[in-house]
Amino acid sequence: MLSRRRFVQGTALTAAAMAGPARGQAVKEVVIGALYPLSGPSAQIGVDAKTAFETAIEIINTAHADLDLPLAKEAGLPGLGGAKIRIIFADHQGDPQKGRAEAERLITQEKVAAMVGSYQSSVAATISQTAERYSVPFMSADNSSPSLHRRGLKYFFRAAAHDEMFSIIMFDFLDGLRKKGEKIDTLALFYEDTIFGTDSSNVQRKLAGERGYKLVSDIKYRANTPSLTAEVQQLKAGNADVLMPSSYTTDGILLVKTMGELGYKPKAMLCQAAGFSEQALYDAVGKQIENVITRGSFSIDLAAKRPLVGKINELFKARSNKDLNDNTAREFMALLVLAEAIDRAKSTDGGRIRDALAQTDIPGERTIMPWKRVKFDENGQNNDADPVLLQYKDQKFVTVYPEQAAVSPAVWPMFKA
Amino acid sequence: MTPEIFIQILASGLLMGLIYALIAVGLSLIFGLMDVVNFAHGEFMMLAMYATFGAVLLIAIDPLFLAPLVVAALFVVGATAYLGVVQYAMRAKANLGMVQIFATFGLAVVIRGVAQLLFTPDYRNLPPNLLGGKTVSLGGIYLPLPQLAGGLVSVAAFTGLWLLITKTDFGKALEATREDAGAVALVGIDKNRVFTLGWGLGAALVGLAGAMLAINYYIYPDVGAPFALIAYVVVALGGFGSVFGALAAGILVGLVEAVSAVILPSSLKAVGIYALYLAVVFVRPRGLFGSL
Repeated sequence: MLSRRRFVQGTALTAAAMAGPARGQAVKEVVIGALYPLSGPSAQIGVDAKTAFETAIEIINTAHADLDLPLAKEAGLPGLGGAKIRIIFADHQGDPQKGRAEAERLITQEKVAAMVGSYQSSVAATISQTAERYSVPFMSADNSSPSLHRRGLKYFFRAAAHDEMFSIIMFDFLDGLRKKGEKIDTLALFYEDTIFGTDSSNVQRKLAGERGYKLVSDIKYRANTPSLTAEVQQLKAGNADVLMPSSYTTDGILLVKTMGELGYKPKAMLCQAAGFSEQALYDAVGKQIENVITRGSFSIDLAAKRPLVGKINELFKARSNKDLNDNTAREFMALLVLAEAIDRAKSTDGGRIRDALAQTDIPGERTIMPWKRVKFDENGQNNDADPVLLQYKDQKFVTVYPEQAAVSPAVWPMFKA
Repeated sequence: MTPEIFIQILASGLLMGLIYALIAVGLSLIFGLMDVVNFAHGEFMMLAMYATFGAVLLIAIDPLFLAPLVVAALFVVGATAYLGVVQYAMRAKANLGMVQIFATFGLAVVIRGVAQLLFTPDYRNLPPNLLGGKTVSLGGIYLPLPQLAGGLVSVAAFTGLWLLITKTDFGKALEATREDAGAVALVGIDKNRVFTLGWGLGAALVGLAGAMLAINYYIYPDVGAPFALIAYVVVALGGFGSVFGALAAGILVGLVEAVSAVILPSSLKAVGIYALYLAVVFVRPRGLFGSL
């Protein structure tokens, strides 16, 4: 727990830093806090995120003349006299209360200039509140709940898409198939019981109503449960035309395994990423769901059009022995966007970094994402982060939607009967 | 709900319940023997799952046949945990209960941390094997083979345990030690030895559950936690220390969980289990079959 004295100290220091003049003098390093689940059920995500950030730091802190990314060309931050970025990792274990405490510790004790996080949207909610209280910017790398940027926070920024944007493209895709004469009338929502799943299902329920799809199952399940038998039994009874899960990795694996055990083969699955972006899930159950489609912010086949993506993937792979995925790509990019703003702010002061972030305008070509550009609205959301739909074919992801980004058309009907 | 779905849910709940019982009985055994709640019980199960995973990669025979090996390994783990940690915690002069809780809880944290360090937090799955992913359909009721095997193994383990406790000298020593650990020393039973074997046996039983579960479940350093939580409820429900109680309560919890996931919103299915537990505690505080 934070002692009162420390709290007062922290507040005083923050206040002093905010009141102080802009110090253009050389800062040796800029400390950024990264909050991730480094232990607990989602530890794998946190450990992979660590590698993504380390890759980003390598690009920022050393010169990479061949990469057209923000801050790649020079070593360190030129705006701060070549200062290096240092990142401090904190483990929130997927627990919103631990996230709050760790954010407080990073700000008051480690004196971080900004923070980045945090995978689970539920934890981002508490971290961003703490960040707001201390006027320290929080860059949400991979949280997708739309409610996060609708709380009037000044210090919250998200370069990637949220689940409303993701769900709209999913329904656009279904509408397109319908127009071509595919029979898609009924949907099944299957979502975990924290902010991520709940928000995702709220958007999907609304869109389904607006666009005339019938929900035959609407199942909120307990995250990280030992058994999903009864839940899958209900999905099977409903047998919707499209099953739409919003699940983290463990539940995603269990869902597919249980479907197999109960002899349920859905007609199609359209997934709200999270677990369905993770290689671990496909290693475990990929064969069963060949041709599954998930939404994404990133696709590795973008490398064919943009060699930059391939180069970054190589750097990342050298460290982790894994390809970049939806999560690690967003984490990598979030740190670059944040560092680029700190460089322009020419300061480690939270308020100035916040103002610089609000001015951010990075064209899509200077990212590794299929985005139009990075530019934040008054809520700190980047509305130009165009999402894509990815289909898992022959053991890799292929971009199938929207058409301008698609590498090949979607295989539909998805699963062979 | 059609009758078919209802039967399916009961069958699934029963099979899951047998596994819950097998996980819980080791915990109950250790508690009954020496009044120590082992907070590292879920971690023992996790170790068993990793042991199965590692053995399959190394020896390349079916995980089903590797179960005895894993059980033996976990027996050693359990005995070592007693000899290395718990026996010292038992010597505390003050606040004995707290010291025991912290000792086994600390052991859990350490095991989990070391597992993450050695095995990484990646989710592992066994390569295709005899039972994994296979299922049989009896008139529309699906029985997954790994769970079916797990249920049968659980029944066999309970039978063996019952024979061990009622028919052997070791079983009598176990019973005697749990009734009065001081008095057995006077008749020449080495209490420390019985405790060591008791911990070994408790860990071996959860090891068997872990080996069966590993066949078709993902494996990662925290996998034990949700199962351990259910095991504590099962033990408290069945009665601390009661072997038969663990079996009955395990099945009951499996059934209640499955049924409440259908009747209630599924995210509230744990409510069914805890409501049942509360009801039992109100009416019968020592649990269904507890003799304390």
